[in-house]
Amino acid sequence: MHPINWLIVVGWIGYVVVDGVRRARNTRELEGYLLANRSLPWWAVGLSVMATQLSAVTMIGTTGQGATDGMRFVQFYFGLPLAMVILGVTLVPFLHGAKVYTAYEYLERRFDAKTRSLTAFLFLLSRGMSCGTIIAAPAVVFSAIFGWKMSACVALIGVPTVLYTMIGGVQAVTWVDVKQMVLIVGALLAIVITLLVQLPVSPVQALHVAGAVGRLRVFDFTPSLTNTYTFWSGVIGGTFLMLSYFGTDQSQVQRYLSARSVDEARSSLLMSAYWKIPLQALVLLVGVLVFTFYLFTRPPLLFNPAHDKLVRERQPAAYAQLQSRYAAELTARDLAARDLAAAPPDERDRAAQRFQLRQHQTEAMRGEALKLAEDASGQPSRDVNYIIPRFVLDHLPIGLAGIFIAAILAAAMNAIAAELTSLATASTIDFYRRWIRAEASEQHFLAVSRVALGVWGIFACVVATFAANLGSLIEVVNRFGSFFYGSILGVFLLAMYPRARGTGAFVGLIAGMSAVAAVNFGAPKVSFLWHNVIGAVTVLLVGMVLSGGRRATA
Amino acid sequence: MNEPLDDRTRFQRTLVRVMSVQVVTLVLLYLLQLMFTR
Repeated sequence: MHPINWLIVVGWIGYVVVDGVRRARNTRELEGYLLANRSLPWWAVGLSVMATQLSAVTMIGTTGQGATDGMRFVQFYFGLPLAMVILGVTLVPFLHGAKVYTAYEYLERRFDAKTRSLTAFLFLLSRGMSCGTIIAAPAVVFSAIFGWKMSACVALIGVPTVLYTMIGGVQAVTWVDVKQMVLIVGALLAIVITLLVQLPVSPVQALHVAGAVGRLRVFDFTPSLTNTYTFWSGVIGGTFLMLSYFGTDQSQVQRYLSARSVDEARSSLLMSAYWKIPLQALVLLVGVLVFTFYLFTRPPLLFNPAHDKLVRERQPAAYAQLQSRYAAELTARDLAARDLAAAPPDERDRAAQRFQLRQHQTEAMRGEALKLAEDASGQPSRDVNYIIPRFVLDHLPIGLAGIFIAAILAAAMNAIAAELTSLATASTIDFYRRWIRAEASEQHFLAVSRVALGVWGIFACVVATFAANLGSLIEVVNRFGSFFYGSILGVFLLAMYPRARGTGAFVGLIAGMSAVAAVNFGAPKVSFLWHNVIGAVTVLLVGMVLSGGRRATA
Repeated sequence: MNEPLDDRTRFQRTLVRVMSVQVVTLVLLYLLQLMFTR
């Protein structure tokens, strides 16, 4: 990468760390450190909420998905606006009004200590591991592209984040998120404009070409439980998933608990309700335009340079032969795409058919190359994650490439910072202060929070460094996480039912997780988006039945 | 007694506003699909 690009990346990381550390001045008490003294304006919290969900996986993986699979992933977010409105009138006033530090703390007030501890433990278990994978995802890509050691890439992402988060607390995390969101959205818009300028066809012609091979297909109305991304799974399953994520996951709840008032907390969530779908569409559109760009500019057969090198070494003859066939096919596809772009409306269908055939052939050859890469490396190729980084480094002008790489790092840092603060908060408030030492000074709890954050940061970096070897373990943990996400939502919904009691909530939680596990193993093809619906509904039913008719006194 | 009613009114207004924006967004995405997908 050009030195100017590196200067931008290093300069941005330095700025973020200094800005975050500066916020430590306002964090001399526990509430200041963990909740910014509940003083933040709605727009800062709103941007922070959006920044937390926009991880490096979004910048690399989702854009890559846009290039290979088109826009249909946006259906995943169709339930989000409704979920935000529901949370605004249900859980947000409950949690904000209760003046709690964590969502799980509220459950003890409403139910009992065992329900609180179980939910907090499940949160720590899943988030502790996922934090490592959030660092690992971009680190693996950087490692392959720049040829660095995995540990160096993990350190590049993890160390600055742990530093400013540990010193500055939620105050630092939120204000850094605000700046990083501006950088990320600016970089995405800049890349769209650059792509439109660089394309040899007009934007409308580019959309006709992309649309001919399904890249602009957004809606799938198939009533299927096994298709992950359909309109129905997005609206129904997505609503439950977003209710669980924004309503019960401490990494999100902590964001709006730091707002000045209930109204400001609600407004911060509504920002996501208005902007999340357009933003996600923008992310996917970047991928679609990169796909179109590579129709007219020769793409590599494998985008992952490490796999490209490996296959070249292991299978030189087969790879060279495949590359020469690929080059010929790309020339034919280029011509077909230009014909389609220039075709008058009455000839567009025929030109589209010729182009679809060429695209199909090209994809078949890519499939052969991916198979060679998988055989050579012994791992799934995941080449989709390398499309955007390669495009950025090979084709973006100097300066803009640096800004985009900085934006990928920013996205990674935002997501990790939110996870680390929430892990430290749950560890300190729900376990240390609850079970080990209830009475101590503010300074003591503040120090414990900082140590907890540092320990979780080190744990996440270690998990990330060895993520390649821990692959199956991480998958197990993530799968386990999907067992209880909806069930925890069920407990919080049950809390709003006046007659619900602690035993009903606790047994309901276990029943909900068991029901999801049964569906997962009994009908493994059912999309995970439906797990949340099953878990939440089971907890509500079991909890209500076991709570009987007597009104709870708690 | 007024407060819950105010809350309900505010919720209904917010719901209508958010869902209207979402419907407009989805219609735009649908038009994008309709115009260009073959």
